[in-house]
Amino acid sequence: MQLPVYKLDAFAGAPFSGNPAAVCPLESWLPVSAMQAIAAENNLSETAFIVRRCDRDYDIRWFRPTDEVDLCGHATLASGKLVLDVLERGRCTVVFHSKSGPLIVERTGDGFALDFPMRKPRQIPITDEIVAALGAEPLELLEADRWVAVYPDAKSVRTLAPDMAAVARFPVRGIGVTAPGCGEDHDVDFVSRYFAPRVAVPEDPVTGALHCVLAPYWSARLYPRTNFTARQVSRRGGQLKVALKGDRVRLEGQAVLTMAGQFSL
Amino acid sequence: MSIPFFQVDAFTDKAFGGNPAAVCPLDSWLHDSQLQAIAAENNLAETAFFVPKDGEYHIRWFTPTVEVDLCGHATLASAAIVLRHLEPTRQKVVFQSQSGPLIVSRAGDRLMLDFPVRPVEAVELTPAIVAALGGKPLKAYKGVRDYVVTYANAEEIRALAPDMAKMAAIGPFAVTAPGTKADGDVDFVSRYFAPAEGIPEDPVTGSAHCSLVPYWADILGKTELRARQVSARGGELWLRLKGDRVEIEGQAVLVIQGELFL
Repeated sequence: MQLPVYKLDAFAGAPFSGNPAAVCPLESWLPVSAMQAIAAENNLSETAFIVRRCDRDYDIRWFRPTDEVDLCGHATLASGKLVLDVLERGRCTVVFHSKSGPLIVERTGDGFALDFPMRKPRQIPITDEIVAALGAEPLELLEADRWVAVYPDAKSVRTLAPDMAAVARFPVRGIGVTAPGCGEDHDVDFVSRYFAPRVAVPEDPVTGALHCVLAPYWSARLYPRTNFTARQVSRRGGQLKVALKGDRVRLEGQAVLTMAGQFSL
Repeated sequence: MSIPFFQVDAFTDKAFGGNPAAVCPLDSWLHDSQLQAIAAENNLAETAFFVPKDGEYHIRWFTPTVEVDLCGHATLASAAIVLRHLEPTRQKVVFQSQSGPLIVSRAGDRLMLDFPVRPVEAVELTPAIVAALGGKPLKAYKGVRDYVVTYANAEEIRALAPDMAKMAAIGPFAVTAPGTKADGDVDFVSRYFAPAEGIPEDPVTGSAHCSLVPYWADILGKTELRARQVSARGGELWLRLKGDRVEIEGQAVLVIQGELFL
């Protein structure tokens, strides 16, 4: 049996940057064990499986090498790029139905936009443990569906070398860090990085969901602005446009097709 | 620009078993930084690149972070691509590498690697080794690269959950025990750990058998051996000790064929 497989770099303008994802378009769902084995074989952070429906929407599920996940931004952007630029070239919008509800990917000027729920953070106390784990004292610590530590400048974020074992001990799915764009990052409004060793991702190259927390934070801090350019300054690096729209966040980025092939099963 | 991409599971005849390797045949060498970036993007234990040269091939192997000087399973995977896809009429292929020429021949539906033997000598089974590996190890040996540590039976090998941080401070380890009926009557089973090299556990390790084969040939008094690596993915090897060489036979299965866009 042959099965198409594609790999794309999401939130990237060129190959070898951004966050890689595999996408497998299916005629109909495979057994979960088969999808899990395919995701393990791909060995990327996420493999998305998409099935076209009669109403021209798609159903989507995401698998890491070890388990299924409820939501994955970068593999959804990759799936959107694949549908709108490769599988159904010329189409402008696609809806993916997922365990986390419908996700819309829309073609924009030079990329694709995702519409996500906003996650408004609240301030929590900075502890000695968090300072020790991150290796530098932040200005603020925020909590939403994950934690975010705010630093004074982009350089502090770039040079951070967290103690992953210590970061993994906090009862939270992951810890993001952010700072205003300045110095070599003066061309963007803010930068970020994201560490999730607790779920076996020491550092994520580019994290869509983190920006659902960062958008309301930076919008309050840079009031009344609601549109931002952002860079995730991981080793691979990623570039995003972020817009706060009421209780939704619009994430915009590019994606690059890096591999097209066939699985033989 | 695009280059061919193959993903092969080595030392197995079933997709999703064995040890996966990416194989990229090239017409001529790309820049080293491109080779490294492609290997990082593939994110498999090893990506092999090879270029034809005078009826042979020049081969190089990259992990997602560095170039390595020898890799058995990606060589077996590369040979599968040459002998089954690129030059199906050939009987054997020679890869010139940083570790010298490596010859892979057809052996029925299997492929045979010809590797140098790496004998082991008894070393002290130190408390540090016991603490790193866990279980009840019997004896420790050391070859040019790997420690070989023996256990009483395959169940103990399967149940091991080594402390990777402690192990990384000592060196790469092959753990081994006699095979049983449950393992298809193989002569011995093994697992292989190299956390310091970025490989907590390797699914199937051809090169570790350069040390395991002389050890078991001596214990069992025979030079033809069958082995199973009992990692989660699992792999099967047919082995022969020939003087200062070890012949390692295994199967290989193509799982993905495609193109990379650079």
